[in-house]
Amino acid sequence: MNRTPKHHPTESTLLRFAAGRLPASHALVVAAHLEGCPACRAGVRAAEIVGGALLAEMPAAVMAEDALTRALARLDEPASKPAPPPPARDLAPGVPLPAALRDLAVPRWRWMAPGIHRIALDIPGAAPGERAYLLRVAPGTELPEHGHEGEEITCILSGSFSDTTGTYGPGDVAEMDEEGDHRPVADAGVPCICLIATQGRLRMRGLLARLIQPLVGV
Amino acid sequence: MNEYASPPAACRAGLAGAEALDGMTPDDIAPPASPDDASLVLAIATRRDRAAFVALFSRTAPRLRSWFMRTGLAADRAEDLAQETMLAVWRKADTFDPNRASAATWIFTIARNQRIDALRRAGRPLPDADDPSLAPAEPVAPDAAYDVAQAEQRVRAALLDLPAEQAEVVRLAYFEDRPHGEIERSLGIPLGTVKSRLRLAMGRLRARLLDRDAPDRPMQDQSRVGGRP
Repeated sequence: MNRTPKHHPTESTLLRFAAGRLPASHALVVAAHLEGCPACRAGVRAAEIVGGALLAEMPAAVMAEDALTRALARLDEPASKPAPPPPARDLAPGVPLPAALRDLAVPRWRWMAPGIHRIALDIPGAAPGERAYLLRVAPGTELPEHGHEGEEITCILSGSFSDTTGTYGPGDVAEMDEEGDHRPVADAGVPCICLIATQGRLRMRGLLARLIQPLVGV
Repeated sequence: MNEYASPPAACRAGLAGAEALDGMTPDDIAPPASPDDASLVLAIATRRDRAAFVALFSRTAPRLRSWFMRTGLAADRAEDLAQETMLAVWRKADTFDPNRASAATWIFTIARNQRIDALRRAGRPLPDADDPSLAPAEPVAPDAAYDVAQAEQRVRAALLDLPAEQAEVVRLAYFEDRPHGEIERSLGIPLGTVKSRLRLAMGRLRARLLDRDAPDRPMQDQSRVGGRP
């Protein structure tokens, strides 16, 4: 992701990320975007500063009587050493795995439909109904038109896709909510690899898509 | 205890006799005069300074408890998380870099991550390692001219200057899991209005962080949410 992204998460999504209010899977997608987007890192940092200011103006609650004594007693507990960051690796030739995903098990690509492969990701702390996966779509492949019961957020890692809202390249983020339907098409050239988080089930349009939906588990 | 009266000097020089404070009880320590949070965190980082921890705890833990309750946690849970956050401050103090963030911002990110961790742990086991998706944002403008204290002060001033209706939706976003839906319901304003207020507010705050006058990012930079053109 060397290019500067052109499509960003909404301000609301950045704010919820900074406030710790995004679902775990969606936060991962935002984190992948932030790796290549100084503008959004600035947005997140601004929201963290606001968080610090809001925290500072909280009224002082009464702590338990022994709160400080207990805290002091625990200061010498050995802290679990943070594991060294896992080494960088590639998701595909020339496509580095985002740092945000390096701690996760990333199994092999699985065939999902003609021209479409998928890796389901197991996100620690993901709520029921939340899913995160990597999708690899062959150039020119059209995804079934679909809508969403919840919010979907996608970060492109390589290649590009287009839908009625525009063309999305590496580092770009596309967000869809329950009001939207879209039919993304992977552009010509290299396969489009993206990281996607969804809430709720997709609403597939068309008989074929609805027939394969239970099989592919989206 | 006025060693913290002149924080930078105290940090450089080290506190003579700080070791003697080990093993003290809370009652042994008078409330600090006016130490600043950053110098307390630095004292913890450089000397494992328990007096500094006590001073920081007395001031910060009660606000953390309020914060966690305000985010919807029960009182005992909020108390526990205030404790855990302060312990994390003690353990991670050496990662605090005053050239990247103020102590207030840094402590906020720790509190936020503690809450996320606790909620995720409640549902499923979570590895001990820090979740990379929770890592604090990288430096915003790592050039020499960037003054963190000034930049943060501009953002805080901008927050106070926001029109009331924009400040309201920003604040609520920290305390509601589904800000759009919740805000729409609790304020009785249309979703589109909530979104545009948030966008304007965030645009201003970000611009002030970067010391730009432009109050907003151009519309075409926004990825669209849902719907068709």
